[in-house]
Amino acid sequence: MTPRLERRLDTDLRRTGVSRLLGAVTGLVVAALLLVLTGRNPVTVLTDSLDAVFGSKRGIEGVAVQSVPILMCALGVALSLRMKVWNIGSDGQFLAGAFMACGLGINVEAPGWLLLVMMAVGSIVGGALWIVVPAAGRAHWGVNEIITTLLLNFVAVQLVVWASLGFWRDRASQVTQSTRPVPVTLPRIPGFDSVSIGFFVPLLLAVVLWAVFRSTKVGYEIDTIGGNPRAAAFAGIDVPRRIIVVMLVSGAIAGLGGFLQLTGAPGAQALNGGGFSRSYGLSGFIVAALAGASFPGVIVAGLFISAMFYAGIALQTKGLSVYIIFGIYGLVLVGVAVGEVAARYRLVRVVAPDTSPSIEAVAP
Amino acid sequence: MSATLRPLAVEVRDVTKSFGGVRALDGVSLDLAEGEVHALLGENGAGKTTLSNILCGLYRADAGEVIVGGGERHFQSPAQAIEAGIGMVHQHFKLVNSMTVAENLHLGSPDTPRVVSARALVASAQRMMDDIGLVVDPTAKVWQLSVGEQQRVEILRVLARGARVLILDEPTAVLAATEADELFAVMRRLVAGGRTVVFISHKLNEVLQVSDRISVLRGGRHVVTREAAGATARELARLMTGEEMGIEVEHREVTGETVLELRGVTSRNSRGVVALHDVDLSVRGGEILGVAGVSGNGQTELAEVVTGLRSPEAGTITIDGVDVSAASTRRIADLGVGHIPEDRIGVGMVASAPVKDNAILRHYRSDELSSKQFLRRDRILAFATSIVEAGRVQTRSVHMPAGQMSGGNQQRLVARRESLLADRLLVAAHPTRGLDVLAAKQVQSAIVERRDAGCAVVMISDDLDELLVVADRVAVMYEGRIMGVFDRASFDREHIGLLMGGRTEAVAG
Repeated sequence: MTPRLERRLDTDLRRTGVSRLLGAVTGLVVAALLLVLTGRNPVTVLTDSLDAVFGSKRGIEGVAVQSVPILMCALGVALSLRMKVWNIGSDGQFLAGAFMACGLGINVEAPGWLLLVMMAVGSIVGGALWIVVPAAGRAHWGVNEIITTLLLNFVAVQLVVWASLGFWRDRASQVTQSTRPVPVTLPRIPGFDSVSIGFFVPLLLAVVLWAVFRSTKVGYEIDTIGGNPRAAAFAGIDVPRRIIVVMLVSGAIAGLGGFLQLTGAPGAQALNGGGFSRSYGLSGFIVAALAGASFPGVIVAGLFISAMFYAGIALQTKGLSVYIIFGIYGLVLVGVAVGEVAARYRLVRVVAPDTSPSIEAVAP
Repeated sequence: MSATLRPLAVEVRDVTKSFGGVRALDGVSLDLAEGEVHALLGENGAGKTTLSNILCGLYRADAGEVIVGGGERHFQSPAQAIEAGIGMVHQHFKLVNSMTVAENLHLGSPDTPRVVSARALVASAQRMMDDIGLVVDPTAKVWQLSVGEQQRVEILRVLARGARVLILDEPTAVLAATEADELFAVMRRLVAGGRTVVFISHKLNEVLQVSDRISVLRGGRHVVTREAAGATARELARLMTGEEMGIEVEHREVTGETVLELRGVTSRNSRGVVALHDVDLSVRGGEILGVAGVSGNGQTELAEVVTGLRSPEAGTITIDGVDVSAASTRRIADLGVGHIPEDRIGVGMVASAPVKDNAILRHYRSDELSSKQFLRRDRILAFATSIVEAGRVQTRSVHMPAGQMSGGNQQRLVARRESLLADRLLVAAHPTRGLDVLAAKQVQSAIVERRDAGCAVVMISDDLDELLVVADRVAVMYEGRIMGVFDRASFDREHIGLLMGGRTEAVAG
């Protein structure tokens, strides 16, 4: 008897979900094996990670702080993904948003609350501006947005580096690569030391986006474009215009993430070169892909990735490199991708052809 | 020599195949002889395509045997089947659109050298075409070809691999009469050389015309295999469906106002070639204008300019007196214009989306289904359910992806949806293509119903028989021009057929 994969004719959401989860677990198991190879005890790494995250209020707060930029980038990516548009540039949009917010914050005199509002609006505009060219190119000339959005990330990093080293550099401080800190911050959530009210923004935004796609015409139109752009045009939807608007909003969300980071995260009140974003766009992209562009899924996967990210940073004190965390991300993502494909197949045992041919399913 | 005495090419013994608990094939046994055209007849869902897919290695039988050349075979893939000499041309083409015809013909063939020049491929493709007697421009890209031409490439590709048994899944569904006749000549030549052609079709006259033997399937069971000689269309239809065939359409004098009017409309196709040339047409309410022609002569573009998917380069189009020459798809739909597009999967549906989302594709902005920016989810469910029921769409649930339904059910869904939209005008491009007798009859009745309700109908079809029954007038298109318009009194099959082929000398007389 030879086992063989046979393609299923139907798809089942629950089966796909379970299969993706199994894939993620498999990725973590492979990561554990690699840790063993590097001479570490994965059980210790795991318990240390859990301890770093859940062992103290500080750990929980750290994850919450970490989740804001990751979730904002992830929501932006997930939104465009609903339309099958791959915005790989949320890192750049995040930085562009932070750049605008910082520029307003250190150069404009205004009452605190007004300045915050101006900075938030500025970050939204900045994030959207950073995706204007890819959006127009994609909508009107079919230019591949994966390339354009990706490359603009590098431009954004250079812009921020330039600002930190040059025109907005804080000449009063000893730090060579940093702007002045912005004079205003978001209030902390009562009872928390480091978590600002910005923590709620991605959660609220996820609910809003979920509702938009569940019960509005716009959400239906975006999903229709994602499913079949020709059918969308047939339905009378102005496809290029929708693509542009959705991409701009996608960039704006990541940009607003830059504002939330700048005014909400402890110790992040100044632009300090490209390091201002610790690859939040990459993490956000992974979260959106893990979640399959489902908004509640983005929150779940985003908190999970944020916890891993935070644990990775905390474990640096124990000599673990943060790059190991990126390696584990990659393994989890590959596991989920394999799980998604695997859900479309089932294993069958084929009885040798010389006896009566029959197929027996071993998996439901 | 009687067909049954010829050596057998393929024997099918008690083949059974189920999909998710539904028996698609139930103990089917058939013989395919060498040197015969063997027709497989049956309704949608009768099991013809499932059987063909088992023969060509796409599916594996749950039980039963397929015997080729005396030995039992279990094909794991189409490659193994073609190695054993069984090749299939599918209803939905499996060509690479961005490649040339010559490249497609050589794609995946073990005989294609690893390094080869484009010119050598074209020359080799030309040789294949000369041998087989079917010709397509080998340097053209597939996306530039008409549906009929694309199918010719598919047939060429299988024949070029040296198939001894050629399965054609509804090959004439996309062909016009002259093209079909050419195909039949090719089929006869192939069987004269000892090959076997399995011919799947709904068109009884064609089956009778070209086949040696006919096997009828119904509900996954083999009903009968008989010689084509002496069989009648009526008898075959009864065997297939268990009921009498054919639609009766009453034609009265058309008294409605002019709804659609085209004056001097010229338009280019996606390749930039002029596809509509100075077209004048008008259709009145309560009238079905049939548009006859070999596919690829501008009918697709005609449907597109009328429904706003393509803008005309010159000329005017009015609907109920309103100039819509430059109007958007949405504006035209709002005037009460429905459109059953030729490519129902590619244009008319979102295959990955649930049936209910497809049911509202053209209605979601109506006050019934949405208010301001919000969709009314409960009403949408009721609306989708009513479309599914009234359109007799067979689906497990309205939440299932539409792409998982059979082609016939997809067509019923689109046809019903567009009929609902069509208060004033219905543009139906090949609405019965690929449907079986019963389903085609339902779609035709639905179209006649719209007409009787006062709607103007433009019905594009390459099945002239269908148009002569259903249409009140028939316009003939050839190379983007209207060659003539006939009312029922002057319907002349032969004359129309000549015009479809571009022959105008008969008109002068």
